[in-house]
Amino acid sequence: MIYGVKRVIKYVLGTDVAGRGLAVYSDDTFIVSYPRSGNTWTRFLVANLVYAGQPVTFANIERLIPDCEAQSNRYLKRVARPRIIKSHEYFDPRYKKAIYIVRDPRDVALSYYNFSRKYRQIEDSYPLERYIGDFVDGRLTSADWGTWGENVGTWVAARKGRPTFLLLRYEDLIADTQTELAKVARFFGVDASPGELRRAIENSSADHLRELEKKEGSEWITTKNKRPDIPFIGSAVAGKWKSVLPDAAVEEIESAWGNLMAQLGYELVTRKAESAETQLAATAVLGEQPE
Amino acid sequence: MAMIRRLIAGTKRAFGLHCPGRNLAVFPDDVFLVSYPKSGNTWARFLIANLLYPERHPDWGNIDRLIPGPEVMSKRDFARMPRPRFIRTHDAFDPRYKQVIYVVRDPRDVALSQYHHHRKLKLIEDNHPFESFLPRFLAGETNVHGSWKQNVASWLAARYGDPRFLLLRYEDMLVDTRSELASICSFLGVEATPERLSKVVEQSSPREMRKLEQVQADQCALTKDTRQDLPFVRTAKSGNWKSEMPDSSVVAIEAAWGPLMKWLGYELVSGDQAGPAESAFPVSAMDGLVR
Repeated sequence: MIYGVKRVIKYVLGTDVAGRGLAVYSDDTFIVSYPRSGNTWTRFLVANLVYAGQPVTFANIERLIPDCEAQSNRYLKRVARPRIIKSHEYFDPRYKKAIYIVRDPRDVALSYYNFSRKYRQIEDSYPLERYIGDFVDGRLTSADWGTWGENVGTWVAARKGRPTFLLLRYEDLIADTQTELAKVARFFGVDASPGELRRAIENSSADHLRELEKKEGSEWITTKNKRPDIPFIGSAVAGKWKSVLPDAAVEEIESAWGNLMAQLGYELVTRKAESAETQLAATAVLGEQPE
Repeated sequence: MAMIRRLIAGTKRAFGLHCPGRNLAVFPDDVFLVSYPKSGNTWARFLIANLLYPERHPDWGNIDRLIPGPEVMSKRDFARMPRPRFIRTHDAFDPRYKQVIYVVRDPRDVALSQYHHHRKLKLIEDNHPFESFLPRFLAGETNVHGSWKQNVASWLAARYGDPRFLLLRYEDMLVDTRSELASICSFLGVEATPERLSKVVEQSSPREMRKLEQVQADQCALTKDTRQDLPFVRTAKSGNWKSEMPDSSVVAIEAAWGPLMKWLGYELVSGDQAGPAESAFPVSAMDGLVR
């Protein structure tokens, strides 16, 4: 029996997408998040900071900070080391050094809905409520990355507290980009002046990225051949769910991941977080001294 | 040369003769037996094999076929297995594994067991000091499955409380094997009489496993090509660390992973490790996290 001829040929040529099968080097640094959580923005911020001196665009971002779920192992092998790699994987013990960006799942769900329309995974008429059910139960096309709770929970539980793990909240990045970017700079060992930080922020602003998307969106691997009428760069705000997301959907998300959300500082509106008894569990898993 | 290697590997792939590893095609009715290495996985595997396949007389010669691991058996072997399949792995959390029996063991004993296993694998010399093995163990560098804490925490964070996740402690299995086996039965929906349980426990006892290992060590991927003067089935006891482990090492393990150990019921001896201030993170991450 012959298994997937196309896949075998791709494997021999090394042109298969790396994804979970990425060959990891010990000096790699990863920018990890669940999809629609600010990864692209962070990628531009980091690229503008670490590779300052050249304009960062959708045309060169795959060379500067490649996407291991879009590029092949062969491509990734040719990237100069130490590499900075973008990923949406759930916890991977081989990633030694990682920035993890977390975003309020109520906003993630909304953003993901538009993204799925852009990718033609769902029709415009697909009801939002049903989509939220898919999102919570892990029935999305990209279910291989786990649910929001699985993706966030495994990374936070396994790595929080280690000096090689930087946890960022998208909402903090929005509220005070400069302070958060300064943390990123320290994490990369980059000595950046306030002026340099500001420049990196300007060169990565949502408006700037939108302009770039208009010009280069048809070329970038992530947006190529996707619906051009729905932008990849969304509204880039926090808390949109409050006005847009139906109450039932909010409740569904909070009942699935309320404890983890509360722990990350996302206020619940439909329920209370669990009592002290279950807190022990969180402390046990999360409260780790640097190993 | 690299191209020729890839061509050979590609040909193997075409016929499904390669080990699928992380690319294993998972079916929704697969059941996974997961643990960190040296935590009782093989014992649990014999218990389950003796329970489910008595007519095959599980031993070291056929255990890899009865309950295979994706790093050892080929893609074709997996494709030919009758369903539902029972699969063993040491993987950290994987969202595709829906039904999971997870065996956890006191990391102080795991560290010792892994140390001796590395001697058997000829990775370290007999006179290699345990004190120099331990830092690598704590950092998760002694295998590809992350550190003990990362592996355990990733599973607990994502699945604890899920009815399709059964958490077993190796120590409880030692104290009352029959009752833990009964938990496995009800988890799998398998009916077994008390006599049957006793028989399975007897057939999978360390004594029986040792007896079989002595004559079949060359037939199993775990024991083949390793030092034959050191047994794979070692003491099969809990608490070896109390007499064998240097005090400083006990302190180091408890300092790194105290809260999680305590939560799992492993008593700490080097003083209660409260953990860093951040561990007082307010809410449980583990309850109701996943649907």
